[in-house]
Amino acid sequence: MPLLDDIEPLKQTALADLAAAPDLAALEQTKGAWLGGNGRFTALMKQLGTLPKEEKPAAGKLINVAKQEIEAALLARREALELAAALPKEPTDFTLPGRRRALGKLHPLTQVTDDIVRAFRKIGFAVADGPEIEDEYHCFDALQTPADHPARDSQDTFYVASAARPLLRTHTSSVQIRVMQSQPPPVRIIVPGRVYRRDNADATHNPTFHQIEGLYVDKNVTVGDLKGTVEFVFRELMGSDVKIRFRQHYFSYTEPSYEIDFTNALVKKMGKDWLEIAGCGMVHPGVFENVGYDPAVWTGWAFGFGIERIAMLRYGINDIRLFYENDVRFLKQF
Amino acid sequence: MKVTLNWLKQYVDFNWSPEELTERLTMLGLEVEGVQKLGGEFEGIVVAQVITRDKHPNADKLSICRVNDGTGERQIVCGAQNFKAGDKVPLILPGASLPPKAGEKEPFIIKVGKIRGVESHGMLCSHEELGLDPEAIGHKKEDGLLILRENATVGQPFAAYLGRSGSDVVYDLEVTPNRPDLNSLIGIAREIAAVTGNSLKLPEVKVGQTSSLSTPIASLVAVRVEDAELCPRYTARVIQGVKVGPSPDWLRVALEKVGIRSISNVVDVTNYVMLESGQPLHAFDYHLIAKNPAGQPTILVRRAAAGEKFKTLDNQDRTLTPDMLLIADEQKGIALAGVMGGANTEINAQTVDVLIESAYFNPTNIRRTSKVLGLRSESSYRFERGADAGICDWAGQRAAQLILETAGGQLATGVVDTRPQAPAPKEITLHFAKSLDLLGIGISHSDQVSFLTKLGLTLATQTPGTCTFTVPSWRVDLKREVDLIEEVGRLFGVDKIPSTPPRGALGTNAFDSVYDQISEVRRILTGLGLNEAQGQTLISDTAAKLASPNILALENPLSSDMNVLRPSLLPGLLDSLRINVSRKNADVALFEIGRVFTLVNGAPKEERRVAIALTGQRQLPFWSGDERNAKFDTYDLKGLAEDLLEQFGLRGVVFTTNPASTSLLLESASITLGGKLPLGELGQLLPALAKKYDLRDAVYLAEFNLDLLLAKRNAAKAFKALPSFPSIRRDVALLVPEAITHQAVLNTVKQTKPANLETVDLFDVFRGKHVPEGQKSLAYAFTYRAADKTLTDPEVNAAHEKLVAAFKAQLQATVRE
Repeated sequence: MPLLDDIEPLKQTALADLAAAPDLAALEQTKGAWLGGNGRFTALMKQLGTLPKEEKPAAGKLINVAKQEIEAALLARREALELAAALPKEPTDFTLPGRRRALGKLHPLTQVTDDIVRAFRKIGFAVADGPEIEDEYHCFDALQTPADHPARDSQDTFYVASAARPLLRTHTSSVQIRVMQSQPPPVRIIVPGRVYRRDNADATHNPTFHQIEGLYVDKNVTVGDLKGTVEFVFRELMGSDVKIRFRQHYFSYTEPSYEIDFTNALVKKMGKDWLEIAGCGMVHPGVFENVGYDPAVWTGWAFGFGIERIAMLRYGINDIRLFYENDVRFLKQF
Repeated sequence: MKVTLNWLKQYVDFNWSPEELTERLTMLGLEVEGVQKLGGEFEGIVVAQVITRDKHPNADKLSICRVNDGTGERQIVCGAQNFKAGDKVPLILPGASLPPKAGEKEPFIIKVGKIRGVESHGMLCSHEELGLDPEAIGHKKEDGLLILRENATVGQPFAAYLGRSGSDVVYDLEVTPNRPDLNSLIGIAREIAAVTGNSLKLPEVKVGQTSSLSTPIASLVAVRVEDAELCPRYTARVIQGVKVGPSPDWLRVALEKVGIRSISNVVDVTNYVMLESGQPLHAFDYHLIAKNPAGQPTILVRRAAAGEKFKTLDNQDRTLTPDMLLIADEQKGIALAGVMGGANTEINAQTVDVLIESAYFNPTNIRRTSKVLGLRSESSYRFERGADAGICDWAGQRAAQLILETAGGQLATGVVDTRPQAPAPKEITLHFAKSLDLLGIGISHSDQVSFLTKLGLTLATQTPGTCTFTVPSWRVDLKREVDLIEEVGRLFGVDKIPSTPPRGALGTNAFDSVYDQISEVRRILTGLGLNEAQGQTLISDTAAKLASPNILALENPLSSDMNVLRPSLLPGLLDSLRINVSRKNADVALFEIGRVFTLVNGAPKEERRVAIALTGQRQLPFWSGDERNAKFDTYDLKGLAEDLLEQFGLRGVVFTTNPASTSLLLESASITLGGKLPLGELGQLLPALAKKYDLRDAVYLAEFNLDLLLAKRNAAKAFKALPSFPSIRRDVALLVPEAITHQAVLNTVKQTKPANLETVDLFDVFRGKHVPEGQKSLAYAFTYRAADKTLTDPEVNAAHEKLVAAFKAQLQATVRE
């Protein structure tokens, strides 16, 4: 049967024509030339009628299979050509820099403060706040540091020129007093904030700096609780390899008082065994008496540390003044 | 307070290494701020004895010796000829270096090495190599080795052989202000004794018995204290016939090691005893103290007269006030009590008789005097922290004894003591259970008692639950029970107290949520692309006045750069812009959150603010695009302000253009809530000021009262169903006079209240072609939508035509649709 023998070669030629079409227009032309009303494959199908009846089903089947194959090839070729047409003339260079959006950064001191606050909040502390312009009572007297106390030596104070001669708080501990005066125990607060000391600016001093204060007053609070909390917070902040040491010290408003040293790989790398990082102690009964808490019922601890110091250690910053210059190249690093 | 290892060992036995002592003192609360190792002279040089001396096989002039260095034998190659087996000679061990010679830069370090093929483990020394004049140390001068005395001890450090100082370690200790007793060697030794359990070895003082030849003190001096409150105790002793001269080596070296200059034997003794006991002493030249009419030198302890002049030992003329305590005779002041002696009675080369003062002065008074005069001394430092009134006479005796030893003389019999009877000691009761309550660990009753007695407290009475102690006079810091608990905890060791995991009540505070709200402002502004700044609170009055007339000044500023509190965050942000631009960071977008301070009706006022500052390019650098180099303009600032206020939950914010420039801003607008409550201000910095701050590009500033934003925000959020019916949009271009603002258009819309109007969006502002001079074209899209049905064109048209009519009538607008 010549018709049947024609199918395969015709199909092969059609497939070759489709594959050779260089663009979408040529493809549509090729499609017409084969599958259009006067197309060559259409002509083949028209010949089907001339076959004897018993041969028609087999021949029809063969022609259909071939036609499907051609149509599939047409579709595939069209998709390929459409894709090629969609590509830009010049390919994109993905190594070129992208169009960047400005992304603002939080100041490193804010980031460190937030981290400290987050660590304390995990264990039930609430954030408290107080004024930066303070009076002698809250900043010193209530903390058992009257004017002639030698402990005042290390806290040279700025005074504000106004009638009551207020001062700029030298530590966030003043907020301890304000909070205890305003709410009954138990108390569990942290106080981040700015403090002021009359020190000339140098690599480790700025007249303005930040502290964070923690205060916990409850029944049966012990030195063990103080240690447990401090260790938790510093592990959160500095990593689980940090080691904490408590060292006997003196503050007028805590008894006993300790300084806290820490060490980790970073400290060792600095060639030191320990770095002093915070001060703390059990709230002095005299302080409780000053705010009207009964020291026979309540005990508590307080601790405080400098936020700049933590940030400097964490990021390896060597000059405190960088925090206050706001060079964007500095700010964008954190 | 500086102490040395060897000096401490005079008062207590301990075998800690220098490093361990550092650690122990630190943990006891005596922070070691510095450690300095003193090599001592002739470090690494010992007395050795030559056992054999043989010829070197490869060199005629060298010999090979076997020597005993006290620990064993070693082989030394030596070139000297003047010695024989059995001689004792100085041996320098490998690793040690010879005393440096003049002009020598590097020390000459002895190493193990081969000399002509034979190993030598050290070097035998000549007097030249040791830098010694042999005759000055009682030895024969000869070429070759320094031959030592036959009775020299083999293995003895050479320095000790010569009687010179050996190595030592100087510790610089930070003594906390509550422990004045630790400003003394004995005080520190007492702490070590308490920890080790070894006894404290106080120097023996034996001047009580004086010979019958001595003059009774009462015939030599009288003391009259006029203000016993400021001077509760005054003791005086007199030594007659001293020879003032240089101190012996041990005394001079002891003082020099801890940084005190040696002056003379008598003065050095007073300093030595002060360091040893913590009791400041003063020595007067007895004959320079004026006599009273009865012919007896008299010491008066009195307040100074107002304006009284006094020349202190440092040759400074001081003007005194009646608040200051003066040691005087009948004619003149002779010492500023507890602070510094007077030039008129100081010990000098001609001094023959010495009066030693050992007194106790009121700490607060000494501190005030010292502060007012700006005069601090080792003496005032100790008195102002609280000296030990109980030790006055002991220290006076100790000084007398050392003066007799170092300067000779005869001690007058007895002492003048204005408080011969010590007051009853303080008693404090400790409840054993309280230490558990506070420290969080049970410490046995016997340990608690033992810790406190080791520190010098005396157990007075004990019950099953308590013990009562008398407090020694030197422990002025022990005032109440908690102070005893601290001491128990200290000796027990805070490192042995177990940590307790966090527990107990949850905290509450009204500020807690405010902290989060402020964080939200930060989050919004960083999201908008601004970097957070932190500025100085203290700024110059010049900068402050740019922002506010109500300046709060410091009473005691450090400098004119920082003499007032910031009344606004903007001057600080301008500073930060200046720093950035000067460092070639031309494009800067910053915000700051912080407090500002003003003087309102004579009282300080504190307020939280948030401020924004922009300068330079709007976008980050890019390599293509027409707008890529566009600079920030007012509408960038306005957009940031709108985003911040909207995101933070402020509704009904109105921007009102200010009619004129301000002291800071060229063009500006005030931001209010509903046109009334002022929230803040924004605008462009005056170009003249920008120039002053070296800012080349235009600068845009905004500042808000954050306290008000916090108070007025409405952060409540409620879901509104998404629209389910289509909207119809009508675009309108309004040709209006320049004076007609966008706000005026919005106001007209608001008054007209077109039905179903959903949004009004301005999408174009145009001046130029086809727009007459003095006019502008504002193009708006009005979107209409009903919540419950699809709107029809006629419905929308009815509402929209009303609106267009209102524009024409109220805004003199030509409408193009």
